Parts: sequence; C-alpha cells; structure tokens
Amino acid sequence: MTLTVGAATSDGTAAVAEAVHAAAAACTPLRLVGRGTWLDAGRPVRAITSLSLAPLAGIVDYTPGDLTLTAGAGTTLAEIARVTRAERQWLALDPFGSPEGTLGATVATTSAGPLAHAFGTPRDNVLGLEFVTGTGAVVHAGGRVVKNVAGFDLTRLLVGSWGTLGAITEVTVRLRARPEVDATIVLPAPAAPTSLGALLDQLRAAPVAALAAELLNAPLAVQLGVADGPALLVRLAGNADLVRAEQAALAALGDAAAAPVDVWDRLRACEPAGAAVARFSGPPARMAATWTHALEVAERWPGTAAHASVGRGVARCVLPTGDARALASALQPTFAGTRIFERLPNELWATLAPTAVADRLSRGVKRAYDPHGLLNPGILG
Amino acid sequence: MRRENVAIVLEDIVGPRRVLKRPSELVVYSADGLPSYRKQPSLAVFPETRAELIDVVRALAAIGAPFVPRGAGTGLSGGALADDVVLLCLNRLNRILRVDPANALAVVEPGVVNVTLTREASKHGLHYAPDPSSQAACTIGGNVAENAGGPHCLKYGVTLNHIAAVTAILPDGEIVRLGNATGETDGYDLLGAFVGSEGCFGVALEMMDAPTVRAVEASIYAAGYPTDAEAVLLAEVDGLPAGLDADVRVIERLCMEAGARTVKVAADDAERARLWQGRKKAFGAMGRISPHLVVQDAVIPRTRLPEVLARIHEISGRYRVKVCNVFHAGDGNLHPNIGYDATDPDETVRVHAAMREIMQVCIDAGGTITGEHGVGLDKLEYMDLIFSPDSLAAMCQLRDVFDPERRSNPGKVVPVRACREWQAARSARSA
Repeated sequence: MTLTVGAATSDGTAAVAEAVHAAAAACTPLRLVGRGTWLDAGRPVRAITSLSLAPLAGIVDYTPGDLTLTAGAGTTLAEIARVTRAERQWLALDPFGSPEGTLGATVATTSAGPLAHAFGTPRDNVLGLEFVTGTGAVVHAGGRVVKNVAGFDLTRLLVGSWGTLGAITEVTVRLRARPEVDATIVLPAPAAPTSLGALLDQLRAAPVAALAAELLNAPLAVQLGVADGPALLVRLAGNADLVRAEQAALAALGDAAAAPVDVWDRLRACEPAGAAVARFSGPPARMAATWTHALEVAERWPGTAAHASVGRGVARCVLPTGDARALASALQPTFAGTRIFERLPNELWATLAPTAVADRLSRGVKRAYDPHGLLNPGILG
Repeated sequence: MRRENVAIVLEDIVGPRRVLKRPSELVVYSADGLPSYRKQPSLAVFPETRAELIDVVRALAAIGAPFVPRGAGTGLSGGALADDVVLLCLNRLNRILRVDPANALAVVEPGVVNVTLTREASKHGLHYAPDPSSQAACTIGGNVAENAGGPHCLKYGVTLNHIAAVTAILPDGEIVRLGNATGETDGYDLLGAFVGSEGCFGVALEMMDAPTVRAVEASIYAAGYPTDAEAVLLAEVDGLPAGLDADVRVIERLCMEAGARTVKVAADDAERARLWQGRKKAFGAMGRISPHLVVQDAVIPRTRLPEVLARIHEISGRYRVKVCNVFHAGDGNLHPNIGYDATDPDETVRVHAAMREIMQVCIDAGGTITGEHGVGLDKLEYMDLIFSPDSLAAMCQLRDVFDPERRSNPGKVVPVRACREWQAARSARSA
C-alpha cells in the first residue's frame, strides 16, 4: 500500500506529519519512498505501507546571488540541475544512479559521486532541512544561510540517517558557480599496485586541483569508451589558464588524452538493476591497496564494474545480479579497511553487514526521534 | 557534595597545584572573550594528560557534579563560563600526537592552539584552514566545540568540514569514537552532531583533523585601508599559480564595476600579512575606543547585505551608538560590534536595545543568529526567534542522548524552558 501526500507546500509537510501520526496511532511502520529509483538500497525494510514523499516536489526558494537553493524533498536532482544551470550554477552532488532520484533521498542516504573529491558529500553541502519525526513533530534544522552554528546540529544528524530518524520534507543546499572551463583527461592506469601507487603519489604532488579523480577497471573503461584498459579519469575545472596548466601537468604523468565531459553522467548511470554494490575505503595514501582489493572482488565476479575516488580513498564495486551465495563468497575476502554495502540481495545483509547503528548513542538517537520504530525499520539494521 | 570535598577528589587526581579554589585565582576564569558576562566557577581543574582528564570526568560523574569544559577562553558567546560549578580547563592537553602528511591528517589533543597546528602542518606543505581571529590563542578543542570559522572558511569550509574523527569522553565517563579517520562511515553522523555542540555533549580527548588542505603557492589580492573610505573589502585568492592572475583580473573588474574607488593588490607576503593583521586584530583595536564591547555574529543571505547594512546604520543612529562592522562578506556573516562603557547605565540600555533590533532585522532577512561564535549564554534569548518549540525540543532530545543528566555545560545553547520533557518533569514535581 502507498500513502501519498499533497504538493510541496507547507500543506505537504503537514500531510506527512498527519500520515505519521496516523501510522503511530495504528502502529503501522512506514517505508519512506522518494521517486523509487533506488529502492533496493539498504537493508530490507520491515514495513508494507509506503509513504511517498515524491509529491513534495518543487523549488521553494532560489536566489542565485545567495548561491543557495531550498527545495521540497521530492524534487529530482535533474530538475535542480536544470534550474541552476540557467544561472551558471550547480548543486555539486552527483550520486550514482538516476538523475531522476530525489534530493531528499540523496540527502537521507548521503549518496555522493565523483565530485565528492572536491566538494564533499551531502553532509558538506546541506545547509538546513525540515523533517517530520516518528512522533509527527515538524522540526527545522539549520537554515538558509551558508554559515550557521545556532543550536545543536540536527542537520548533520539527519543527513545519512536513511529516513530512520525523520521523513525529510524540505532541504536547503549550497550551490557553486559552474566553472568557466570543464575538461576531462584520461590517463592509462597501471595494473601493478606499486606502479599505481607511484602514479597516485605523483598525482597528489602535481599542481592539479581536480574536481574529480576516478580510477576505472578495464571493463568499465571499455564500457564508457574512454580506454581499452584500466584508466584514471581526471576532471579539471576553472579558468582557461588554470585548466591549460593542469592539462600540461597531467600530460607529464603519462599518455594523457581528452575524454568527453559527459563521461561522468555515463559513469553515474552504470548501475544495472539488481546489482550488488560494495564500497571499500581506507586512508587515501593506501588507495592502491584498497583498489587492489576491489579488483580482486571484481575478478571473482565477472562483469563487475569497479571505480575509485582516489582523493578520498574509496573504491566501489558494482556486481551484477547473480546467485546470492556465490556473491557472498566473492565478497568474502578480508579487507583491512572499511567496507560499506549500498545494495545486496536481501538474504546477505544479516551475515555481511547486520547493522550500522548498534552503539548506545545511535540507539539512543533512534529512540529519541522515532520511539515507536515506525520509520524505515530495519534499513540501518 | 560540598565544594571542599569535590576539590579533594580532584586534587587526588591532578595534585593540589592544578585545582584552583581561591576566589582571587578563579576571577581570571570568570569571563571569556565577551567581557559583558561574568560567572565565577566553584573550582577550576587542569588535567595535563589524557588519563587525568578521563579520571576527572569520571570522578565528576561519580559525584554527579556539573562542569564546564574550557579551552583558551577566547569564545565570544559566554559559552565557557561556569556559574558556581567546576571549570574543566583543557589548555594543558596541548600535544600534537601525530601528523600524517600523506593522508593530510593530524591527531591532536584538545588544548592544541590553532596556529600551532598550522605551524606544525606547514612543515609538510599543509595548513589547517579554519582560522578564527583568535587563532593565535584559541584551541582546537574549543574550535570543535563551537564549530569555529574564520575568513578562509569561505573557500575551505568550517571546522565541521575539517574534523575526520573525535575520541570523546561522555559526561557519564564512557569513551566513544565518533567518525572514522581512515575510511568512510555509515550509520548516524554522530561526529557531525558533536562538532558545534558547545561542550554540552562531552569532552573531546583527541581529534583527527583532516583534510588539512594543501597550501599551494598563494598569490594575494586585497584592498588597502584608506582612512576616508566608507568600507574596505579584503579578498584573497589562493590556489595553483596558473589561474590566479586571471582570477585577480576578474575580481578587479567586478569591484570597479560595482563602484569601488580603488583596488590595491598586495605586492608581497609581508603586505598581505599586514592587510590581514588589520582585519584579525580589529576586535583588539576596538578596545582603544571603549572599555566594553558587544559583538554579534548573525548571518544573512548574501544578496541582502546592502539593505541590512543600511538598516544597521539607521538603527545605530537612532540609538546613538557607534557600530563598527567587521565581517565575512563572502559568507554573509556579520559582526556588528558596539563599543560602549558598561558603567553608563543609559548607554548600556541603548546598546542592548540596538543589538536586539539589529538581530531582528537579520532574522527577518532570512538569516540566523550565529554563524561561528556559538549560542552560549549570549544568544540564548534569540533561540526562540528562529526555532519552533518542536525544533528546540528535538535539540534537547539529542543532548539528552549524550548527557541525560545535563551536567556538561549546563544552561547553555538551548533555553531550558524549551525542553518539553523538562517542563513535563517540572509540572510533575509541582503537582
């Protein structure tokens, strides 16, 4: 069953609060849904009733000179991109998956893409939000200005809480001016960890301030049509003088070639339905080791697309759908860093990543904001 | 427990010389950077090691004694004042434990002074970007508690964006690790909640600061300080040398198009430092004009700056007070300062009335009451103006997860009357 609420007005928020109140009265857990483009992410939710936040769509406030934008949680990233592009601005969040996904879902799941290299994750780009707690209270956190320390930071708490502390109804984000020049360079990436490590050290030391720097495994590089082997994609932006100098610096590191800038959109879209997605992270200086681990996983599971944000030390494997038990063993090798799953077959969560919120403080926060356990129960374990 | 007995317990941990009890010694700690608030602590304790700090917090928990953590006391919100409770001074925990240049990470104790960290990091071509005006004295622990900013936060972000992980001791004595300095985190962003919690959630034992952004060659662009100008705008660009000259030309053109009289580019690093010195020492310079100072920290949407500055000018004229605006134009973070003589009751009343009206103008413009100084005591009365009772109650609930007894920095940040549970408990008590 799906409950829907009204449009992106204050009435929309009131309707969400009313729906949560009703659910509390009936002890009915709710599955929060945006546009439903990423419903297979996270642990299985123990709820049969869905509350759709998609109707909370629309730009509430956008003054380009302020470089901030407030929108209903159901507004799609594509719509925000369209509106801000007209002012030569952008929301520098490019999570993997469909651009038809919503701002609310991006923030709730703190989903980030290659641009996180330069601009951080939703945690760094959200200025304020409105949410409805599990008791139906409407809470405003943060504000619409770019700097704000008034009160405890509920914004950070809600970002990445996967809807388990409140249904996010409205979000204010920081925008950036679009760069004058936006160019992408592709370099061949060595397969041997030591040579790769050396290349990444050179990149770190080079006079290059990239917007994104992403390693691609061979199948992904081929699929994107940028190389016929493993490759490093570097996105450069700024004024023409700067980009020219950076291109020259990259050319000194290897056989650099230009790549079309839409490669980034195509990379984001490489997310087949039903795929399992795992992220491996460690200190940036150990990127080569983390990447080697991702490649091992990819080798065990044919068809895996692997890529890594080298500045952040995060590798990501997209594993096509298949037998769950075999998948579990492909993911099994021990990894010294941090392993986070975005998507998995339902039956694997309990063994691979039963919970992300087991500690006392996390349990206390959940009890405080959703005492009846109504909101997305189980999604964080 | 009586004050003398608390002192004995604390002296057992840190020794008698590091527990201050005499009023004449404690008076030094009765104010922070805002001289208009005075509160005397009952005791001040100075742990010097992590182990001592843990023992002190656990002893206070066992006694049930409230306490106020304090760094260098340079805050501008009255947040580090202890009203007849224990003052927990962290400035002796001042070791930089590790600098890891490859990962642009430093591990520090809470009492490390901001500029000391930058100095240490600069040996590796790095710097720690948040740079409050008090950076020569303020501590990283204090910066974390207040989510401190500074001029360079426009480009690099505030303290929140630079802290990778914190090891903290909760008021009940439990030690927790928030965030992950060597990889991603999932689950709730408890680190994000902790940064900026103004000492109400516990005490940081150790902080992993990252990314300490690479300080690439800097070329500087700044306006001078002509004494007859209506206002001076300082703008700094940094980054890779290749694109900087073009950026400077754009800024120069935009300033002239917008009606600037002159634009002056700092020729070298010494001139750059001098221009910034004028900005960073502005608060101190105001001390030459008048003995007392109120400082505000409101933030407004940037497009509203001209109109709000005009309103501030009008308000200061009406109340016959002298407002000095020294602020972060790029962020819309205003610092209207009013110098005055607190022994003059008439002037004091006018200053506070003007301040309240200025704050209301900023809120009406879509702004907030504090951008980097924190709420502390100073802005408690404004919290109701920007947050609904439900939003304030949600803040109280978060605090109660970290500090259910509300012993850590009691009475700060959220007006106690806003906490529904507290009200419910009070009515139950009075029933």
